[in-house]
Amino acid sequence: MSQFAVEAHQLVKKFPARPGTGDKNPSPPSPLPEGEGRRGEGKKKRWQFWKKEPKATFTAVSGVDIQIQRGEIFGLLGPNGAGKSTTIRMLCTLLEPTSGTAHVNGYDIVRQANDVRRSLGTVLAGERSIYWKLTGRENLEYFAALYHIPPAVAKKRVDELIERMELKDRANELVEKYSTGMRQRVAIAKALLARPPILLLDEPTLGLDPQAARNLRELIATLKQEGHTILLTTHYMEEADQLSDRIGIIDTGRIIALDTPEGLKRRIEQKEIIRLEVSGWQAYIGEKLLALQEVENLVAHRQAEADMWEVSMQATDSRTVLPKLMESISQNGTRLVNMNIVKPSLEDVFIHLTGKALRD
Amino acid sequence: METSLIPRSLGQPGLLSDIRAFLAVVRREWTIFTRYPSWIIALFIWPLIFPMMYILTARALSGPDESGLAVFIATTGATDYIGYIIVGTTVWMWQNIVLWDVGFALRNEQMRGTLESNWLSPTWRFSYLLGQTGPQIVSMAMFIGVTALEFGILFGVRLNGNPWMIGLMMLAAIPAIYGLGFAFASLVITVKEANTFVFLIRGMVMIFCGITFPVAILPAWMQSFAKWLPQTYLIHGMRAAAFSNAGVNELLPDLIPLLSFGGFWLIVGYFTFLWMERRARKTGAIGQY
Ligand SMILES: Nc1ncnc2c1ncn2[C@@H]1O[C@H](COP(=O)(O)OP(=O)(O)OP(=O)(O)O)[C@@H](O)[C@H]1O
Ligand SMILES: [Mg+2]
Repeated sequence: MSQFAVEAHQLVKKFPARPGTGDKNPSPPSPLPEGEGRRGEGKKKRWQFWKKEPKATFTAVSGVDIQIQRGEIFGLLGPNGAGKSTTIRMLCTLLEPTSGTAHVNGYDIVRQANDVRRSLGTVLAGERSIYWKLTGRENLEYFAALYHIPPAVAKKRVDELIERMELKDRANELVEKYSTGMRQRVAIAKALLARPPILLLDEPTLGLDPQAARNLRELIATLKQEGHTILLTTHYMEEADQLSDRIGIIDTGRIIALDTPEGLKRRIEQKEIIRLEVSGWQAYIGEKLLALQEVENLVAHRQAEADMWEVSMQATDSRTVLPKLMESISQNGTRLVNMNIVKPSLEDVFIHLTGKALRD
Repeated sequence: METSLIPRSLGQPGLLSDIRAFLAVVRREWTIFTRYPSWIIALFIWPLIFPMMYILTARALSGPDESGLAVFIATTGATDYIGYIIVGTTVWMWQNIVLWDVGFALRNEQMRGTLESNWLSPTWRFSYLLGQTGPQIVSMAMFIGVTALEFGILFGVRLNGNPWMIGLMMLAAIPAIYGLGFAFASLVITVKEANTFVFLIRGMVMIFCGITFPVAILPAWMQSFAKWLPQTYLIHGMRAAAFSNAGVNELLPDLIPLLSFGGFWLIVGYFTFLWMERRARKTGAIGQY
């Protein structure tokens, strides 16, 4: 058995570029360092009469290396469109990498796909992954058969999971009548059915209310104690911070930092984060502040309220910065409403690494 | 609950497990099918509506004294023009419904999001398509049964043949009709505009296979084209079995091509599926909708 539960080496996934529609990524297309819209090498000349344009490709994942220890929770953290789901989809054999290799539970994801599938419990697109016209129990019985669990064992296991996921009272109702949280619990129970050593959870708490999300995080921590290796993706900082033993920060298809949550935060420990609430913010003020030697990575966000802005920046020495800050802000109708000096969070690490906010 | 440090998988690979997985797909499909009550209405209405169009047209064209029917009987050799028409329309409806039901089986799951979660399991993937066919055949058998019943009661259509021979013809048609459905089901996953093919195929069956008329009245080039459509043999054979009391020997000229086309289309269907599966792994089509 391989030393690592999951091991990826230089994983790359290129998709055929979508004509017209472009990305489903809502943020404006930023020129990627490479890959974006790059033209493929083109087919051999003799096929030209078939008139096939060399296909444009879009690089969703470009050279990801991960090694996950057995029994570890590994968090893949990144903004929308970073390539988190694409990475997970390659690991669970739904997608074939364009290049690079990966092993799950010691099995090659391309050549030993079925062994990989047997080793994994995967939650993708949570509530949409189960049948709404079946009951919770029917769903679990169905998937138990797909995972080749013998009927007698399956029956016990389904009961056990229904109990554990607190679905008992409504296990015989159609899933369409469930809440999002309950559906998510069915989806997770489904992933746990065959008691796979490794779990892949793609944004498991997405769309859950805070209480349900908290319960789910507790469950994930318990699953780790039971010996499962867990790879989870999220774009919630707190979630990654709280759950993960190690975090890989992924952006535009690359892992740009990989460390323990503490290790990541230590990278900018000597820095302080100044958070401001400002009304009537002007872009030029930001430029002026950035020109200061002590200030870097300034990010300004317009808030829901009319003309309120949340501005955060990283400063090496807040004492010397503050007077200059006050001076430049209280001008031309710009007004400081609130100010905090805080310790860096993972969000700030992300800003430090990429110069942009994780969530827009 | 057991807590061992490295969880051991409960799955047990093997042929038996794959068969059970296949049966689970059949059962799931049947359960979901029965939970949409509208199919009962469809089951009683549709068998009547489509053939009625042709039957009423035939009545109108045959003139007030129905003298035109004599001409029809002379060219077709059929004594019962209603029975003659409903065999053709039923075959057309069968192929049409299979193209929608089986053809969109995977596509609908793709849109619902469940296709990916099936694909994640170690089950033989063709089971997902094959398994949906079982309930479809049962519902189709009900459909054809209701057709026979309704036209028997309302129009006095009587079979003048061996019901087993009709059954045999239909059984022999299953590979061709469903093989085409498999090919189509795989195509719509990756080629989003594939709906057009449904219209193309059923249009071809409608015009070339003689659903309401004998193929012999078609121009020569159309007749030779009709020879390449398995539905032509099915319609011809079913009419012979239902109204001319044909036995196995008389049906062989229809049975043999039908089964050969069946083998061909099953293979095409299976390989299209494999092709789709490979392509989807490259383009990520399974997860898109
Ligand atoms: N099948 C596909 N074909 C073409 N492009 C795709 C496909 N799947 C994903 N992409 C693109 O690849 C990029 C990465 O997508 P991915 O789903 O991996 O991001 P993500 O990190 O999971 O983001 P999110 O937080 O939005 O889920 C996106 O720009 C997306 O539009
Ligand atoms: Mg995603």
